[in-house]
Amino acid sequence: MPLKYLLLTLISLIALELNSYASSLKDSMSFGVDAYSDNADVQVYSPTLSLFKKVSSHWMLGFKMRIDAITAASIKNGANGTHVDAVTGASSSDKAFDDVRYAPTLMATYDDGDNVLSAGAYYSTEIDYTGQAFFLNYVRQLNEQNTALGIGFSQSFDKWNPVFKRALPKDNRNERKIDFSINQLITPKFSIQGVFSYMYSEGFLSSPYHYVLQNNIAKFENYPDTRTGQAYALKGVYLVNEANAMNFSYRYYADDWDISSHTLNIEELHDFSRHLTSGLRLRYYTQTKSNFVKDIGSYNANDTYFATDYRMSAFDSYTVGIPFIYRKKNGDKVTASIDYYQTTDNAYVKSWYGVNNISAIFTTLSYEFAY
Amino acid sequence: MKTLFFILLLLFISGCSDKLVRVMPYEKEYFAQDKMSLAPIADRSEQEGHVYLIREASAGGESSFQGGCGCR
Repeated sequence: MPLKYLLLTLISLIALELNSYASSLKDSMSFGVDAYSDNADVQVYSPTLSLFKKVSSHWMLGFKMRIDAITAASIKNGANGTHVDAVTGASSSDKAFDDVRYAPTLMATYDDGDNVLSAGAYYSTEIDYTGQAFFLNYVRQLNEQNTALGIGFSQSFDKWNPVFKRALPKDNRNERKIDFSINQLITPKFSIQGVFSYMYSEGFLSSPYHYVLQNNIAKFENYPDTRTGQAYALKGVYLVNEANAMNFSYRYYADDWDISSHTLNIEELHDFSRHLTSGLRLRYYTQTKSNFVKDIGSYNANDTYFATDYRMSAFDSYTVGIPFIYRKKNGDKVTASIDYYQTTDNAYVKSWYGVNNISAIFTTLSYEFAY
Repeated sequence: MKTLFFILLLLFISGCSDKLVRVMPYEKEYFAQDKMSLAPIADRSEQEGHVYLIREASAGGESSFQGGCGCR
């Protein structure tokens, strides 16, 4: 769909629909720290900050900052997590962190109660990658706010800059995403949401570091230049009784690399008191392999595409997690979560990382307050 | 894709019908609770979205908003 038609449609809708009901915008701030650690020797510590300031009855400005401090054998060694890279020749780093990614986001939101329009821009920079994107979202409340229709658009213009000298066939990576969504209240205790996402990527879509090494073949990964994917998701939340709610979602994903996946997520949340809510979440994911990945050791020198990233192969994964929400008397909120993630055993994981599967722990901790 | 887009466009412009209303404003108290949110911890949603994007080949299916309850 041409970009100009989408933008024109959005602008027309906004002109038609904006009016002046009361909005619920409020000044708020949050700060926290996220962490990720896995058995492939990757650790990421991420301080986060969000600041939202109301500038008029209907307008609010927002600023978000995320800093990812990363230590990873793959960065120290150039590519391969298990040993110093034989193909790239990159040498080890002695710095406290191997990479630091800075990711600020600026946004503006219009909210009149029935229409919410938000637009923003995102920028991130790290040693070998620069990302920049803009996004536009519009939500229209209907039927006395029983129904909400949403449309979102984002476009990124990213650039690779590998840490070792390698002339990439192209250094750009552009991604476009369009989301359509509908929320519907079914009963006073049950609501559902449907989401359709269309995604298009073009440019250098593989990693500049991964390579196939077998017999007398040493080839960097090479994927198709474009990728088109669609995702369909159905989500719901149901109040079981006064103290318990069940949250569930299912997503089907498919793309033109023949990867398809099913994702199931279910979460039970229980109010332990007026202040504390906690529970348990379970997630299951399964995906098929891409149409160009081959079994380890079976590539030929004249193949067009080479893949060694396990994400191009078939595997399943499981997540188990515990969330915490603590509400203070003054309305401030502390949220935290801890999740354990594990993939099934995979030959590509074994070959690249030297472990049978990827297992990881990721956590979040955040303090939110209005000011 | 285009068909879906124009169906949603029609819905936007028409404003649907009030006959679809199922939950009255005074019945929405539960949707103001944290546990009744589709993304009860926003920070976790952001973090896990990043993790799954890095560790899996799929994407999409998350809308950037939650609405429909008028509870904000």
